[in-house]
Amino acid sequence: MKKVENINLGTVKFVIDEDAYDALENYLGTIENHFNKSEGCEEIMEDIEIRMAELFGESLHSSTAIISMKHVKHVISIMGTPEDFGANTNTSYTERKSSRKKSYSRQQGKRLFRDEDEAVVAGVCSGLAAYFGVNDPVIVRIIYTIASLFLGLPIIAYIILWIIVPAARNANDRLAMRGKPINIDSISKQVEEELYKINDTLEEIGKSFSSKKKR
Amino acid sequence: MKLENMKAQMRKGVLELCVLSLLEHTEGYPSDIIKQLKTSKLIVVEGTIYPLLNRLKNASLLSYHWKESKTGPPRKYYFITNEGKEILTEMRGTWNQLNHAVIETTKQN
Repeated sequence: MKKVENINLGTVKFVIDEDAYDALENYLGTIENHFNKSEGCEEIMEDIEIRMAELFGESLHSSTAIISMKHVKHVISIMGTPEDFGANTNTSYTERKSSRKKSYSRQQGKRLFRDEDEAVVAGVCSGLAAYFGVNDPVIVRIIYTIASLFLGLPIIAYIILWIIVPAARNANDRLAMRGKPINIDSISKQVEEELYKINDTLEEIGKSFSSKKKR
Repeated sequence: MKLENMKAQMRKGVLELCVLSLLEHTEGYPSDIIKQLKTSKLIVVEGTIYPLLNRLKNASLLSYHWKESKTGPPRKYYFITNEGKEILTEMRGTWNQLNHAVIETTKQN
């Protein structure tokens, strides 16, 4: 199940998947950053948004349909990638002037999250492992255990971290957790990987069911 | 990829002339202009046209008015100005000269 966002794109209201929203916002932000150097940036962005709204309207089959990643990719392929515009996609873009509901910034730096997918208790050690670039969370857990036994690091510290460190909820968070760049390619790759993981988990569940049946 | 860039540069040079020429006798939406330019393979991606239209409008060679659309958001309807028409004539002349010059220079002997 995914969260959706309501957006106003070129004066048209759309409902869009959370991941697609991130990709679209990144796209528009990169382009806007590129045009900031030339005159008429706002007008150009207005024209581009209007055209994209038209294209989305054409690809959605009903007025209640939701924009998903595949729609975003399709429209971007028609409009052109930021590279086609001559934009440099490696630099992070400053927040768009339009209002954004979320308060966290879109900079390229790593951010500490709890990794609930790889959690034993609450994903604190996994999150720390991701932040420090340690591939195996078990190592962090071992270090933590040793620290708690020999240095008297109380469990309360873990609980505090559990409370104050947010869980990585979506592809964007998971990318930021590992310090990966956030752009259309990385977001769609991340979403694909997550879908594969879900697929694997479902397969394993299926297998354990059928093996239980046999007994 | 460098060859693609070279080709794109060549097309870019003549795009303004073509856009002005398409709007010489009729008004048009950006999407109509794009369609025609795509048919003649002058552009591949739509994004390149918007900064161009904006430049021409800022230079007063084009202007626009808003038109309501039943099927979507209101759209900009571009038309050529008198100044634009003058510049178009000039550009056509330059293009013809250029055309001859290139043909002469690239003739295989």
